[in-house]
Amino acid sequence: MIKQTESLVRLQKDVDCFLSATLDTPLATLPQWDSLAVLLVISHYEANYKIQLNSRQIHECKTVRDLLNLIPTQ
Amino acid sequence: MKSVIKNFKISAMALSTGSITKSYIEDGLARDIPRAKLERMSKTIGLNIRKTVTNNITTLDLCEDASRRLLKSQDVDIASLDAIIFVTQTPDFSQPNNASLLHGRLGLNEDVMAYDISVGCSGWVYGLHQAAMLCAHSGLGRVLLCAGDTLSQLTHPQDQSIDPIFGDAGSATLVERSGDGKDVYFMFGTVGGMSSAIKVPAGGAREPFSLKTKNETKDEFGNINTPENLQMNGADVFNFTLREVPQAIRSVMALANYPISEVDALVLHQANKFVVQTIAQNTGFDLKNVPNTVFEKYGNQSSASIPCVLIDSLGSQLSNKPMKVVACGYGVGLSWAAFAGEIGPIALCPVQPYPRP
Repeated sequence: MIKQTESLVRLQKDVDCFLSATLDTPLATLPQWDSLAVLLVISHYEANYKIQLNSRQIHECKTVRDLLNLIPTQ
Repeated sequence: MKSVIKNFKISAMALSTGSITKSYIEDGLARDIPRAKLERMSKTIGLNIRKTVTNNITTLDLCEDASRRLLKSQDVDIASLDAIIFVTQTPDFSQPNNASLLHGRLGLNEDVMAYDISVGCSGWVYGLHQAAMLCAHSGLGRVLLCAGDTLSQLTHPQDQSIDPIFGDAGSATLVERSGDGKDVYFMFGTVGGMSSAIKVPAGGAREPFSLKTKNETKDEFGNINTPENLQMNGADVFNFTLREVPQAIRSVMALANYPISEVDALVLHQANKFVVQTIAQNTGFDLKNVPNTVFEKYGNQSSASIPCVLIDSLGSQLSNKPMKVVACGYGVGLSWAAFAGEIGPIALCPVQPYPRP
């Protein structure tokens, strides 16, 4: 099972707005959390986990941890 | 839906764009958007230059210009045209249709069939399928297929999520009956349950324009629009694209028995540079075989973007020799339409702005 910290490191490589984020950082406080970041997150999840996120799933996430909780546990 | 058609060919194509050149970076700086933010979007999405119309120019005007250039360049006798198909979601009027208006402008014979197809980014493939069926199965000799939109006129200028994306263009394609007997393979798909992901809520019979439809709302990222504007849920459209389009491409290639190694070009609707690149990677194509510069030069041209790739990106090859092409349009509906087949050589008129300086 991949730890959430490892998943965050992966995410940080693909989506620049997470570079200084921790698991508890609220998404709304990320300076570059915008429509482009959302596309990059969807692309990252598809490429790394074969998950196709929709807008509702993303909008329900309040923190980085919530976003990473969308990755299914093995 | 699968369909296999032979005995038709694409003989000639032309495309006209709007005459205004807009720069994403310059326009953004004028709106006090930080340069770093603009450059980040530009680098990733490919936002650069787009061509839009002036207020009094419509899709009909652009397609008329493209049609006239095509017909003149090929010295086509207009009496030889049997049908006009006009693919657009930005017609001049709700009635009559654009095809009839263009029929009148070009002065075609009264026994010509003329109808519109209301489809967006997947529309040129829909139109090609219709034109091919008319030629192959109805005995028609020549069909003029027009496809385009002026979506820049529907976006709210303060909706930075979609206003900088769209360019305006109208294409003309001459489809003819042919005896070469080569099969062209078509596939279509629709996810109507996601239809609200791309929508202009007001202006139709369900919600006519009113004072209420002029009310502005702001989304979580600060973008403003009204029900009279084009609205797009980018996340859900991208979700649809990742889920449906690579599979559509693989399916139409399997139907045509085309291995990737035999395909000369994968021609995709130019939604934006990032989306085209992602689809190319997900389908295993070498990026050099997937043209991806039209969005940066002209913007997202809706149903005219595949014709623009064929003319602007592949023109030097396609005007001289046949090419094995796989193409896929995808977008509003939500819908996708794909074909695989050998096309060319095609007589191609260069992309030009309308009106010209």
